[in-house]
Amino acid sequence: MNLLRYGHDAWGARVLNGVSWDLLPVAFWAGVAVIVIHLAYRALRRGSNRHED
Amino acid sequence: MAADNQKLQRHAGADRLFHWLMAATMLVLMATSLLPVLGLRFAWYGIHWVAGLVLTLLILLHIVRALFWQRPGTMLIRAADFSRRGAGKYTLAQKLMHLAWTVALLVAIVTGLLMLSKAGVPFLQRDPYVHSLSGWGLLTLLHDLAALLSVFLILVHVYFGILPEKRAYLRAMLTGWITRTELKPEHDLQRVERGD
Repeated sequence: MNLLRYGHDAWGARVLNGVSWDLLPVAFWAGVAVIVIHLAYRALRRGSNRHED
Repeated sequence: MAADNQKLQRHAGADRLFHWLMAATMLVLMATSLLPVLGLRFAWYGIHWVAGLVLTLLILLHIVRALFWQRPGTMLIRAADFSRRGAGKYTLAQKLMHLAWTVALLVAIVTGLLMLSKAGVPFLQRDPYVHSLSGWGLLTLLHDLAALLSVFLILVHVYFGILPEKRAYLRAMLTGWITRTELKPEHDLQRVERGD
């Protein structure tokens, strides 16, 4: 997986073009991971609260 | 002591309008920048820069309103925010979300405005030589990073907005009001009443 996008100038030298779009799924799945982790934490907390009751 | 089911105004109409206009603008910006990356070909650029200018205007209005008509201190992170039921108007999580959006949007707006001179828009003389190639690359890199951060933040923000236990905040962003009972689990009502 690349982190950056590169192009070339008129002399053929490599120049930075931006962030690699390989990172787009990483941003998406990082968001999904936060959601899943929070859902798991929420379920565990609710379970322990019910147990205390 | 006021009744627990008394409706408290949480967001004025102008702030709700700002929030939803900004959300719509962000969706347009994300669609016009990322759908082409995913392979959907269409004339995205014109829509993107116009939406970018709309977002810039909205953010400027928000900053002016926050500074002169609201209490910007309500968004500052304070020691009391870390204690249980100690939040003021906004919880620690809400303040962190606002901070993350501030970073993402300010970076996107500043780099986007600087890139307009390369792209050619009706009101600005096109000059791709105002920066070096590596300068343009760096601006694009920061703009791209702001877009990636926005993808992450949209997912997390929408998720927390629709959670059943957070639904009162979503309703407040739609209708403006919330009750004391709904604030009690996480907020210090004295801080809320002080406008802290």
